[in-house]
Amino acid sequence: MLAISLALNGVVLGSVLLLFSLGLTLIYGVGRIVNFAHGALFSIGAMLGVWLAGQGLPLWLTLIVTPVAVGLIGALLDWAVLARIRDRPMVDSLLLTFGLALFITGVLYEMGGRHVQMMPIPNMLEGAISIFGFTLPVYRLFVSLLAVVLAAGLFMFLKNSDWGLRVRAANDDPEMGACLGINREMLMHSVVGVSAALAAISGVAAAPIFTAYATVGDKILILAFMTVILGGLGSLRGAVVAAYVVGLIIVFGEGYFGGQMALMVLFVLVMAMLINWPRGFFGEGRTE
Amino acid sequence: MTGAAVLQSKSAAGEHAPSRRPYLLALIILAILGATLPLWVTNSPFLLMLASHAVVAAIVALSLDLLTGNTGLLSFGHAAWYGFGAYAAGLLSKSLSAELLVILPLTVIAASLTALAIGAVLVRQIGKTFAILTLALSQIFYALVFVFSDRTGGEDGLQGVPMITAFGRTVASPEAWYWLLYGVLVASLAGALYLRTTPLGRAWLAIKENTERARFIGINTGALKLIAYVFSAGLASLAGALFVLFNGAVSPDVLHWFESGKILMYVVLGGVGTIVGPVFGAAAFTLTEHYVSSITDAWLIYFGGLFVLIVIVAPGGLFGIFGNLYARLTGGREKRS
Repeated sequence: MLAISLALNGVVLGSVLLLFSLGLTLIYGVGRIVNFAHGALFSIGAMLGVWLAGQGLPLWLTLIVTPVAVGLIGALLDWAVLARIRDRPMVDSLLLTFGLALFITGVLYEMGGRHVQMMPIPNMLEGAISIFGFTLPVYRLFVSLLAVVLAAGLFMFLKNSDWGLRVRAANDDPEMGACLGINREMLMHSVVGVSAALAAISGVAAAPIFTAYATVGDKILILAFMTVILGGLGSLRGAVVAAYVVGLIIVFGEGYFGGQMALMVLFVLVMAMLINWPRGFFGEGRTE
Repeated sequence: MTGAAVLQSKSAAGEHAPSRRPYLLALIILAILGATLPLWVTNSPFLLMLASHAVVAAIVALSLDLLTGNTGLLSFGHAAWYGFGAYAAGLLSKSLSAELLVILPLTVIAASLTALAIGAVLVRQIGKTFAILTLALSQIFYALVFVFSDRTGGEDGLQGVPMITAFGRTVASPEAWYWLLYGVLVASLAGALYLRTTPLGRAWLAIKENTERARFIGINTGALKLIAYVFSAGLASLAGALFVLFNGAVSPDVLHWFESGKILMYVVLGGVGTIVGPVFGAAAFTLTEHYVSSITDAWLIYFGGLFVLIVIVAPGGLFGIFGNLYARLTGGREKRS
């Protein structure tokens, strides 16, 4: 009985993780950048969302304003900082985003991020409903649906829009894409922007569950890293499957072994997986 | 390849160009200044303590450069091994013996064996996956402290580490501790520089330069990377062990990713791959951190900002900047790629 309730919660966590990891995968696919600052963007989203909600903004508006604002911050960061090291070796991009993560965390600390802040749930989404006799808070259901809808929307957009075509082209072969007239700089700004917006909306949507503080993104970043490695670096559909696998492992681990042990179980599983399948679930992760 | 190439040309130039002697001389003078430090600061015990912390930081920085500078593998979770050493040595000192010569070897062996098992999987991954997994590893170790909080003290940290004896005599005076730490630093620095000249060190540099090419000429890249990883983890754990015995207590903060960031900063600041650079990077950083964080609360902002700035404008670190300046001043050939 516990198992089904845990499974439901695992799906909720998996959905949030899905939205968050897609941003990570997108930026990796196009820019070959592993973004260590992605968790910090999640934290910005959560804290900005709480602040906006505190100013009296309704939830739906918060859910729109936050990702747009953080998306702009992301594009700005890419233009101002990441663009400086575009042609440097991979190591520099790792170091740079790591430094950005420290910097953003420092700024958030000064903005009141040392304390845990709560985000209220609107009355409409309060309470719980029962599914097959198991109760699940309505808000969690709402978050999962939102994440799934947004992820599906992103996939549709990637598949059908002009922008999506460019992204997929750059994902397959950035140099060839540039030869075919894709403006890599503009594309990269937009991709980092979208990626930041995805991190922010998962942060703000999950804020009523995870609360908000300066380092709230740390744990989810580690989980997302495990997700993208399990799914294969740069593989979008791999990330989708892996997000739910990780979500379920974490929630079941927490249910049966306790909070911190779950992380360890996950790490051991990922290591075991890497021995035989370093390219992820669909074998399409990059290993160069 | 700017950063690596500059370092490469630097080390190549350093061996044959006549400009090597001033470097060596400066190094020796600095080493003597460092060794006699307790005699200079007799009237301010605080400075000596700060210097001791800087020396510990320098050992950790050296340990990371053993890995990153030699093989090009970037560890974003080196605090894992530093913290492992600290907790292992702290627990050993409380449960087994307060003898330095028992605690240190046991800690380093435990860390090396653990690193061997974990590293065997890690070093086979590409650089990005390696970086991600090392960060995750440090988070796991961080979590472990809380899982076994009845032993480790959890949030409060591990406290009550007893007075330490070396060869049966108690090591208590700050001067003795400083010299002990300094001795370890000099010994490991000499060891690391010596390794550079051995076939092993040469093979490492070949891997750093181009892993694929190194494999083609018959170097067992996986095994050599693993050796570097284990050495690096062992030395980091030694630094952690010395830290906890010197400090008398340790908090889980030593395993936090901020700490990993700091260790990385030492190396980046000093110049990746210069072996000597990170040591000075660590000393400079520790002093700066202390004085700046006593003025402002927002230390992390300056830290992160400086990190970003250094990566963008000075990928060779301070060592690279000074090296270029020196080359320019003496009219030497400034080899920049």
